This record gives sequence, C-alpha cells and structure tokens, in this order.
Amino acid sequence: MKKRSFVLGAAIAALGALALSATAGAATTRKADDSLLGGGSSFVSPLVSQWINDYGTKAGVNITYGPIGSGAGIAAVTARTVDFGASDAPLTADQATACNGCVQIPWALSATSIAYNIPGVKNNLKITGDLVAKIYLGTITKWNDAAITALNPGVTLPDLDITPVYRSDGSGTSYNFTDYLSKVSTDFASAIGKTTQPPFKVGVGARGSAGVSGIVAKTSGSLTYVDVAFALKNKLFFFAVKNQAGKYTLPGIKQIVAAASTVTSVPADNALSIVDPPKTNVDAYPIGTFTWIITPKSSKKAVTLKKFILYAISPFGQKLGLPLVFAPLPKVVAVAASKTVAQITQG
Amino acid sequence: MAADSTLIVLDSSQRKRSDRLGERGFLYVTLAATLVAVGVLVAIAVKVFDLAAPAISKFGVGFLWSQDWNAVTNRFGALDFIYGTAVSSLVALAIAAPISIAIALFLTELAPKWLRTPVGALVEVLSGIPSVVIGLWGILVLGPIVESQVEPFLNSFLGWIPLFSGRYSPVGLLPAILVLTIMITPIVSSISRELLSRVPKEQIEGALAIGATRWEMIRGVMLPYVGPGIIAALILGVGRAVGEAIAVTQVIGTTAGIRSSLFGPADTLASRIASQYQGAVSNLQVSSLAYLAAILLVLSLLFNLGAQLIVRRVERSRG
Amino acid sequence: MSTLPTSANGPDVPPIFHVDRRLKRRKIVNRLMEGVSTLAALLAVAVLVLLVGSVVVRGASAFNGAFFTQVASGDFLNPAGGGIAHAIVGSAVIVLLATLIAVPVGVLVAIYTSEFARPQVAGIVRLCLDVLNGIPSIVIGIFIFGLLVVGRGQAAWIASVALSVIMLPLIARSTQEVLTLVPLTLREAALGVGVAKWRMVIGIVIPASLGGIMTGVSLAIARVAGETAPILFTSSIAVNQISTDVSHALQTIPVLIFTYSESPEPADHAKAWGGAILLIGFVLFTSVLSRMLMSRMKRRLEGGARGELLGRVTGLLGLFRRPSA
Repeated sequence: MKKRSFVLGAAIAALGALALSATAGAATTRKADDSLLGGGSSFVSPLVSQWINDYGTKAGVNITYGPIGSGAGIAAVTARTVDFGASDAPLTADQATACNGCVQIPWALSATSIAYNIPGVKNNLKITGDLVAKIYLGTITKWNDAAITALNPGVTLPDLDITPVYRSDGSGTSYNFTDYLSKVSTDFASAIGKTTQPPFKVGVGARGSAGVSGIVAKTSGSLTYVDVAFALKNKLFFFAVKNQAGKYTLPGIKQIVAAASTVTSVPADNALSIVDPPKTNVDAYPIGTFTWIITPKSSKKAVTLKKFILYAISPFGQKLGLPLVFAPLPKVVAVAASKTVAQITQG
Repeated sequence: MAADSTLIVLDSSQRKRSDRLGERGFLYVTLAATLVAVGVLVAIAVKVFDLAAPAISKFGVGFLWSQDWNAVTNRFGALDFIYGTAVSSLVALAIAAPISIAIALFLTELAPKWLRTPVGALVEVLSGIPSVVIGLWGILVLGPIVESQVEPFLNSFLGWIPLFSGRYSPVGLLPAILVLTIMITPIVSSISRELLSRVPKEQIEGALAIGATRWEMIRGVMLPYVGPGIIAALILGVGRAVGEAIAVTQVIGTTAGIRSSLFGPADTLASRIASQYQGAVSNLQVSSLAYLAAILLVLSLLFNLGAQLIVRRVERSRG
Repeated sequence: MSTLPTSANGPDVPPIFHVDRRLKRRKIVNRLMEGVSTLAALLAVAVLVLLVGSVVVRGASAFNGAFFTQVASGDFLNPAGGGIAHAIVGSAVIVLLATLIAVPVGVLVAIYTSEFARPQVAGIVRLCLDVLNGIPSIVIGIFIFGLLVVGRGQAAWIASVALSVIMLPLIARSTQEVLTLVPLTLREAALGVGVAKWRMVIGIVIPASLGGIMTGVSLAIARVAGETAPILFTSSIAVNQISTDVSHALQTIPVLIFTYSESPEPADHAKAWGGAILLIGFVLFTSVLSRMLMSRMKRRLEGGARGELLGRVTGLLGLFRRPSA
C-alpha cells in the first residue's frame, strides 16, 4: 500500500515539476519578437547554420532553421507555419499566388556539384551536361561508356553500373539541376523538364542534401547533384563540367562569380536563373544558382525578420559563405534584395 | 488512500442523492471519453478522405492502377506504390511466418526449460524495438551487408530468376523486405507462443500417449488448434508492415516504378507519404498523397476486420 | 529456412500399430523437423541479438558527459562534439504530455465499456479501438498535420496529441482486459451492500487493477517513445536548445535518429546510435517494469491484497449494519 502511494506521489510530483518547468520555459523563451522559425532548402542550410551561430548570438535572436527541402519550405511559408521559407527555386506562378502576398529575396549564391563515387578514380573528372542528362535518363548506364572515357583520356574508368542518386523530396537543388539539364538537352527537357520533383525512372532517391550525400558516400558507382558545400564537407569527388565556352570548370567561388556576372538587372519578382551562361563568360561554372528567402509581405515578426535578412545579405553575412563556397551576391542583386526587404511590413 | 474518502458516508439520504448524481455524472464522463475515442476514429477517416477528395474526383478509381507519378505534368497514380507495398510486405511475411512459428514452437516445446524464459523475454523486448532503430541499423549495417554478401549469394544460386538479378545495391526492395521481416517476426512469434501455450494439455498428452512423435503431435494437434490464431497474428503483422513508413523509407531507395528485380529500388505507399507530404509541389499532389493515405486506411481496416473475423469465428466454434 | 505448414489436415494421429521401418522413418522426420525448427529459431534469435548487439557496440562509444548534457553542435563544418540533450528532453516532454492526455481518456473508455455499456455497444467500441490501433502512424501523422499544424505551425503539444491518439486504444484495450480480472466476488460484495456502482468502481475496481492499468500505460509509453512518423510532421523544425516549451517544435530522439541515419557524417551516426541505445534501453526498462507491475497485481488479487480489499468491503458492511453477503 505504502509503496504504491509513494509511486503515485512521485509520479504526480514529477508531472507537476514538468508542468511548472514547461510554463517557466514558456515564460523565458516566448518574449514577443526575439525568435524566428524558418524551413526549406537544405542547399543553403550550411550557410544559414553559420548565420544562426554568428548573428543569433550577437543579436540575441533565437533562429531555428529546418533543412526540410525547398518544396517543403515553400509549402510551410504558404501555410504560414514558419516565419520564413527558403528555396533554391523561384516560386512558380501558382505557388506565388498560393503564397498570397509573399516576397522572395535572393540571399545567397552558390552552385550544384555533380558528385560521384567511383572506386580508384581521381577527383574532378570531366563531364558534359548532355552526358549527365543521358545518365539520368538511363541511356548511359556504365562508367566506362565510350562517351565518358573519351572526355577523360588517361583515366581508366571501371566497367561499373552507374547508380544515379536524386532527391526524393521537393528540392531546389533538383530544380537547379533540371533547369540546367533542360537547357543543354532537349531530350531531357521533353522527358523530365525543370522541376523541384523530377520523376526520374532510374536511380535511387533520398531525402535532403545530407541524404543524397549519404547514399553516394557508401555506394560505389553512384553519382548525385548536391550543394558544393556538402560535397566538400563529406569529401565527395565531383566533376568539372563543360560550359558554353567549352571549358571544364569546377564549382568554386571564382567560377560562380563569373556565372553570376551575367545578371545585369533583376526582375520585380527577383526570379533569376544563371545556369548554362553564354560563351562570353569563359570561366563560368554552368550549374550555379541563387537561393531565396521567402516571407509573407506582412509579417508579425517583420522587425526581427528584416534585420536578419539585411544581415544575411550584408558583407558580414556574405563573407561567412566563402569557406562553404557561397559567393557574395553581385551588387545589383544585393541592391534589389535590400529594396525588397523594405516591402516587408509589420502585420 | 483517495478511495477511502469516497467511501466515507455518514447520512444515508444524503448518500443516496449524491450517489444518484455521482452515478449519472460518472456514466456521462465515461461515455464522453468513449465518444471522444470513437470520434477520433471517425475524424481520421473524414479528414483523410476530405484531404484526398480533389485527387479522388480528378483521378477516380483509375488512380489505383495508374503508374504515373509526375509533379511536372501534375498527374498521379498509386500502382507503383501499391506494388512496392505488396511485394515488400508479402515477401517479408512469407519469410517471417515459418520463422515465427519455429520460434514459438522452439520456445513452447523444443527448447530446454532454462532457455525458454530468457529467449522468450528477448523476443518480447525485440517486438518493442522502435522501427526507426531497425531502419538505422538497416541503412548503416544491413544495407552494406546486403550489397556485398546477400545479393551476390542469391545471384550466384538464383541469378537465372529476374528477381535475383541486376546490380547490387545497399538500398532497395531486398533491404526493405529484410527490415520488415525483422520487424514482424518478434510480434508474430510472441503472439504464436502465447497461443501455443494455450493448447489444452490433455490433447497434447493424449496424442503423445498413443505413440505420436513430437512432430506428429505438433502437426496433428498444436498447429490445427492455433492455426486460425496464427493466421490472425500474421494478418496483424502484415498490417504493421504495410503501414510502416520510417524504416522502409530509410532503406528502400524511394523510387517509383515496377522493376523485376528485388535488388532494385522501389517505394511504398507509406514511404512515399513520409518523403513527399511536406514538400509537395501542388495542391493536387498533396491530395494525391492523402489518397495514398486513404488506401492505407482502408487496407488497415480490412486487415483488422479480417483478423477479428477469424478470431471470433474460432471463439464461437470453441464455445 | 524451415517450411513448416501453417495448417495441417486435422488431427491425424497415426494408429499405434506400425511396422518397425515406418516407425524409424517417423522418428527421422520428427528429428528433422525438430532440428529445422530449432535451427530457424536460433537463426532468427541470432539475427535479433546481432541487431541489438551492433546498436550497443556502436552507440556505447557515443556516450559521454556531453552526449547527455549538451545540444548538437550547430556548426556545419564541425559537426562533431555536443550531444542530444535537447532531443532527450523533447522526447520526455512530448511523451509525458501525450500520456497525460491519453491515460484519463483511455481508462474512462475502458470503465464505460466494461462497467456500463451493453455488450453490443461494448463490442462496437472495442472494435473501434482495435481499428484505431491498426491505423498506420503515418496516417495519424497527416491527420493531425491537416487538423492542427496547417495555419498554426509545428509545436510539441501537437506531437503529443498525435502520440496520444496512438496511445489511446492501447491504454483503453489493456485497461479493459485488466478490469475483467477483478474478481466478481469483490464487485458483488460491494454492490450487495448497496454501495453505488461508481463508488464501487473508483473505490474497489480501479485500486485493485491499478498495477495492470500501469502495465498497459507503460507499454503504451514504450511504444510511442519510438514513434517517428507523426512527429516528423508535427515537431521536426526544432530549436537546437534544451527547452520544455511545448508551444514550439522540440527535437526528439526518434526524429534525430531518422535524420542522422541518412547523413554521410560519422559524427551524426554516432549520435544516432547513442539515441538508439537510449530507446532500446527504455523499451527494456518498461518491459521489465510492466512485468513486475502485472505480476504484483496478480499476486495481490490472488493473495493478501484480495483479502485486504474484501476487508474494506466488510468494513463498509459494518458501517451500513447489514448482514454479510
């Protein structure tokens, strides 16, 4: 009897303590405007995590970011379940309408690498967009395919099946990648098209940048498309990709800056595409992309949100991107971005 | 004791009034809770079908046998996922059923007495291991073993069957099948063990007394006695496998399509919902994913009612 | 792999008289089948042991002070170090809140069906509970997502609601079973002396079956502590800090394992294995606890406690000056 009363008493005491601490926690963390909740692109998440560590501590703002994929980020901001979404794909017309008064602001610039895992083969093999398209369409299936070996004289490629790995969630990286392949391959454009959720018939799907990197890291013969930062961080090899000028370029800061230099003006909705830039950009890496933060024009957290975005697009925020291969925004884009920030109002 | 205070009653007329009120109040409170429970079930069905309504009206029943799943053309169909779900669950069941029954027989009949309790407890605990842990093990430990050992082994013996050909991969249908097998085996074995332990002793002893070997006794007495119960357990097990989203999505390779090989990737209804629901491109896609959920809902209902029906029939026939 | 038939052709116990040769064959078949079953069972047990063993071996190395006290390192370039304290606290908070929601409702449902409802009604409710129990948790996830997350945002309390939907049928069904174990003599003794039914339930039936109810509750807690799918939609965009504020999304052990399992980062894998040990340990703990509770309740009902409860009933008899039943 006594024992049971004790157990019951202890359980009640524990629950009471929990309830107390829950209310106490609520009291301390829920001051009006000092927290932000965001979700979306896993491509930009390495940079956002640096911003959160840097700005969050300096400004005393509690920022939470979930790398749930660009598609989920757009869906979340549309449903107003987050303060901001993030996407590497600009909103489609339907999405913009559904989002009901959202703005998209370019806040970072980087590139999608084509990472591979072929045992015993060196880093930075050469590839063309057309061949990548053929791999993802399933028409090239072996690493020692004549078309690939022809580009890489002196390299012995194994007689190994290719496993293309792609994003199964709604992904801005997928958009960037399919945007590029649709430009360089008409077959790809008609079979797949540009989309955040490409319906590939071959290969293996995985969630998020971390997911595709994870599969490639342990699957020999695989390749994927992923934010350069993830490829570098996880020591994945990646291709030098042929640009319009005929040069094989790597996704580095210089090559991304060169690709972004094609941007001379920014449209009202800030939608920009810098894939497959023209010949004149000799050094450009062809699969670069801007990435956007998406917020409601009228936000309850407008003040905090605007400060954070202005920090992100400022030189202080942008310079944190360099070690992660995020290039600074071109001036014209940064100006357009800060103008758009001004449109966000307290609501 | 709280209970004592409710029992201390002094005046009998006062007691009667408070009893009447209390009786009614108590009845209403418990009834309300019951309505909540039943209401939740109804609400789930209504909500899921409501979410699915746009896709149901757009694609109709044809959704079930359409192989399209394309966010670009905004056309969706469930066949690939129904196939993936069916193959992964049924093959897992085919492996798990004999093994589970063997474990149950081992634990009730064959194992030495000292071994029964610890092994039985182990199986019990394993049936409680969360699927995400099995998935973690599946993706990091089992997957690489499947690629480097299991698939080459199967291929070398059975490679002439398309099911066991194709390139080896750490993710795909085969790892998903194995993960599901590991999930349902402990569940089915612990139920089967429970059932076997209920076989009347007289029947067992009777069979042995007239000279049946132990195997003949098992085959002739025990299995027929528990057969329907085990079938019900298997139905519940396959129900669990069909609805499993997390462990499967970790290892199956989440790719639409129907492939002849077990080595290749696939996707299931539950796994597709888990990987795409949050990031769906269009409202129609959200709705189509809810349609997949509605299919799962109906399947789970059928499995449940099927198992219930078997159990009831047996109970009735045994009085 | 064994191929035992799942059904046989009825009780075909063979006749006693056999020629020796046939008996020999029967004995060989017997040995063979016994061997095959034993082998299959041992193989399966070995695989299961291997699973737990590899989790323990890999996870143990992740355990250190930081693992239990710190949050994940938020630094992309230096993911090593830190711990999963935020997920441990988040899981505890979410599961406790779910328990607080599900236990009262579940127990009341069980009381209604076993004490008040007509048999047909009780049968329907029981069926509903079984069906609810069979619904895949991913479906419950999108139900709660559509109902509570859309337009409001993720929050730990929403995850608790989702988990409570999973717990409800488990608790209600196990409590129903336990309530039927309370001996009829106890009920009759109380009712016979004119004690109101509700007082009888609260004063006698519930205390007598408390151990059994707790068993069901602890098993339900063990089940939902590892649930991932419903939390993925309701509490996954979580703050990377230790918090008990249920109005925000909180990190949980299952979602952390799920996310880290797909990562290419060894430091993430280590934390996932560590989290897996915690979950398995918790399942083990609750399973032992529930066994203890259940056997204690059975003992009490069979032995001393039954006498004590009967004593309380007879105490009431004295109070009401009625002859003993």
